[in-house]
Amino acid sequence: MSLSIDLNNMGAKGAIADEATGKWGMTIDQDLCTGCQACVAACAMENNLSHVGEEDAGYGRTQHWIRIERFWEGEYPEVKVKGGFQPMLCQQCGHAPCEPVCPVFATPHSNAEQLNLQVYNRCVGTRYCANNCPYQVRSFNWRDYHINPFHANEIDGQLVFPLHNQFNPDVTVRRRGVMEKCTFCIQRIHKAQDKAKSEGREVEDGEFNTACAQACPANAITFGRVDDPETLVSQLAQQERGYQHLEELNTLPRITYLKEG
Amino acid sequence: MSENISRRDFLKLATVGAATTAVLTGCGPASRYIKREPYMEMPEYTYNGLSTYYATTCRECAAGCGLIVRTMQGRAIKVEGNPNHPVNLGKTCPRGQITLQGLYNPNRVRGPLKHARGEGLYDTNFQDAPPNLSWDEAVQVVADALQASAGVAFLLGTAPDHLFDLSSELANSIGAAAPIRFGASSIFEARATLSKATEDLFGQAAMPFFDIGNSDLVLSFGANFLETWLSPVAYSRAYAQMRRGNPKIRGYFIQFESRMSQTAAKADEWIPIHPGTEGLVVAAIGRLVAEAKGGEMPVAFETVDLNTVISEAGVRLETLEHIAQLVVEAFTPIAVPGGGALGLSNGLQIAEAILAFNVLNDNVGKPGGVSLSPLSPNQDVYHSPASAQEMTDFIGRMNSGEIKTLFIHGINPVFELPTSLGFAEALANVETVISFATFPDETAFASDYVFPDHHGLESWGYQRVTTGVTQSVLSGAQPVVSPNYDTRATADVLLAASQVLPFKDEMEFLQSKFAALVGQADGSFSAPEINTFTAYFQQHGGWWKTTSDSVSPSAASALGTNLTVEPAQFAGEGEFFFLPFISPTLGEAGANKPWLQELPDPTTTVMWNTWVEINPETAHELGIENDDVVKIISEAGEVEASVYLYPAIHPEVIAMPFGQGHTAYGRYAQGRGANPANLLGAHFNEAGDLAFAGMKVKVEKTGRKQSLSRLESRIGVYGEGMGEEHP
Repeated sequence: MSLSIDLNNMGAKGAIADEATGKWGMTIDQDLCTGCQACVAACAMENNLSHVGEEDAGYGRTQHWIRIERFWEGEYPEVKVKGGFQPMLCQQCGHAPCEPVCPVFATPHSNAEQLNLQVYNRCVGTRYCANNCPYQVRSFNWRDYHINPFHANEIDGQLVFPLHNQFNPDVTVRRRGVMEKCTFCIQRIHKAQDKAKSEGREVEDGEFNTACAQACPANAITFGRVDDPETLVSQLAQQERGYQHLEELNTLPRITYLKEG
Repeated sequence: MSENISRRDFLKLATVGAATTAVLTGCGPASRYIKREPYMEMPEYTYNGLSTYYATTCRECAAGCGLIVRTMQGRAIKVEGNPNHPVNLGKTCPRGQITLQGLYNPNRVRGPLKHARGEGLYDTNFQDAPPNLSWDEAVQVVADALQASAGVAFLLGTAPDHLFDLSSELANSIGAAAPIRFGASSIFEARATLSKATEDLFGQAAMPFFDIGNSDLVLSFGANFLETWLSPVAYSRAYAQMRRGNPKIRGYFIQFESRMSQTAAKADEWIPIHPGTEGLVVAAIGRLVAEAKGGEMPVAFETVDLNTVISEAGVRLETLEHIAQLVVEAFTPIAVPGGGALGLSNGLQIAEAILAFNVLNDNVGKPGGVSLSPLSPNQDVYHSPASAQEMTDFIGRMNSGEIKTLFIHGINPVFELPTSLGFAEALANVETVISFATFPDETAFASDYVFPDHHGLESWGYQRVTTGVTQSVLSGAQPVVSPNYDTRATADVLLAASQVLPFKDEMEFLQSKFAALVGQADGSFSAPEINTFTAYFQQHGGWWKTTSDSVSPSAASALGTNLTVEPAQFAGEGEFFFLPFISPTLGEAGANKPWLQELPDPTTTVMWNTWVEINPETAHELGIENDDVVKIISEAGEVEASVYLYPAIHPEVIAMPFGQGHTAYGRYAQGRGANPANLLGAHFNEAGDLAFAGMKVKVEKTGRKQSLSRLESRIGVYGEGMGEEHP
């Protein structure tokens, strides 16, 4: 008996894609990145990321959707930061190793946007995707961090969480047992799309920005439409300095890094 | 409004504009607050699902970056940079982003209260103490205190400026001493030294502006301009411009510093010179450059002995010659003095040597060179924050009993000042201490009364931009949300209590300071009368000139003075030089914001704690490993912290970040890490700034281990971090 499965219908298109051409992309200039963490902070504020506290942070359970990597090279006094600071976030692979391993299709590939989605209410927390992500950019909610009573004040017998006032109403707050990752600020994409649609046009490059690119003081992060060769992000990605992380895995990342120098 | 404004920006400003009409129609400032309402009772200009954006000014440091805060249903949701603001052009640093966790911090002072000094402002479960005074009583307390005018003193932080102006006018009219401004950043940036050096060399006290962006060769002497130094967002942008702004030339960047800071990590060359020899090195390079250029040797660099420099600084002659060659070949080389170089016994000499080096390279007043920052639009003379020496004199006045009532705002001196200055002990000699703290910090604990001011995002005001841009900028602040608690603007409290100034409230005072700008045509906007001006001021987030206003100083005589630069003197005994630095992520007051705590330090990736950086070779000789708790002992005190084996630090130097070690300040800060200020002795440079980098310390093992939480892997993919005992 033979069984043929069309992976396209299974939501695992990334596994068989030869080449992915997406709409949204990013370049990160490592010559400009100063490692200042403004992108990390902006991402946390935009996407309702939880802070996990010192102990869980020490176990590597931080919820950084974007992080700044720093590699030492050489020995004193010839020591330097190899290749410059390296912001690492979901590469929105066209051929994503995280996608085919999810047993409940919580990490599908978006055909429309060519992004890697994360559907929180489908996720059952197997963590297969994080295990399979070569970039180590997925973070798991080990606890209900947001509603830890440590953050609360008790007022008339009720726990009140003042920090919750800051939550972005456009983004879900995730509970324990759910995997999460960078979404390219999909709430901002949707907002721009809705607006463009109501005005009967396409979303323009530069009409909106991801939170990280918006905050970056050195303008190291550029976000935009990569399906148009004229946009700034497309032009930057064509530079000789451009490279993609772990290209050899054929993950077809949507983010191009620009080398130092 | 500028012509290249993007569509999105226009929409933002348009929404902001809609909100400001309330002022135009003559309502008082209070009606400008949006209330936090249940969804069923929304203010009429708030639509479900649509945000309102307000322009204001960040108060996390004194740089004065413009913010646009996204609010929804009266809650502040997200901080974004103001794209038109000259300082940050739409960008923010991490501290600016996370200012919201200060606004919504679970530990805030909820209303006016009186308590016994030393008593906590929250209980062991971090539940805030309830207010026990009414504001009328509070105003009466302040009014009574102001009666004894000669004994009144104001101690203020470096922001906001409008409160400084108001207390200056108040102190003047009641005959009290002028307010004094200070803060940990004043120590770590050594601003007084910079301003004194400018006065000595250029004949004018001012904050110099270093045009890194238009330079093609930057020599930085411990200037952490990508972290916290002066105006980090503006200088980060300048750095990017230096690297990639000119498609033909990528600017070259050399940092001289005994420890590789985050800024030095971005340098093409990091030169770990021996601590205290910054002045010698710049003078030596200056001499080599002058020799290469030919002509007469300037007096300033005449006496430099290269052999002394090489042996003292621990650099090779080839390195100096190579750098001098780069300087000669560069179009616009610039040298920048940072706090680490100025906070030394001879910091003033070093600052002057560095400025003289810029004069030698003929960059003064030119693009890519040094000029003097313009004064803010409503300012007559440059006002530098107090030096540590002036702060010590102030503490002397407290001790002598001369100060009967001390008002403290915007600074947490019990934590920020080195214990050796004796501020906490001096408080005992002050009859009444009144803190206006927003957060329950150490100084509020040590006060008799706490009359909490609003958070910066709930406040009116303005901040002068002292450096970072060549334009003259007055950055405006307005409330983006209504006050969360029963707090009151300190300006309003002072006005109500004193009754000597001709202003009804804070807004009237602010308008009096704008009066001179009404009708001016060369600014970001122009308005014919004061109410319109005020409305535009809020909408735009301030008022600034559209063209450069920087001053080109006269540098004619600078090279004629004989600079005698010697190695710095170090205080205390011990085998290590001690280099405290201000934490790039926490800054001076970030420790109570949990997301700032969870941002990894850029170079060590440590979160939530204090570490001490030791060179791995040195540590190996001493038998010290990663995460060993060591005791660091100076002449002034001792602290304990876990060791981080830092590969990029001079073997004779240990370094520690400032920002943690709180004994109060809420649940996220208290009892976490150690405060390196406790190790600093009361030693000053010639300009009166603290010689904070001029200490020697001993290191002792404690035999304990305390793991630091790091973002980086301690084990490594191939187990290489496991150490010898785990092959």
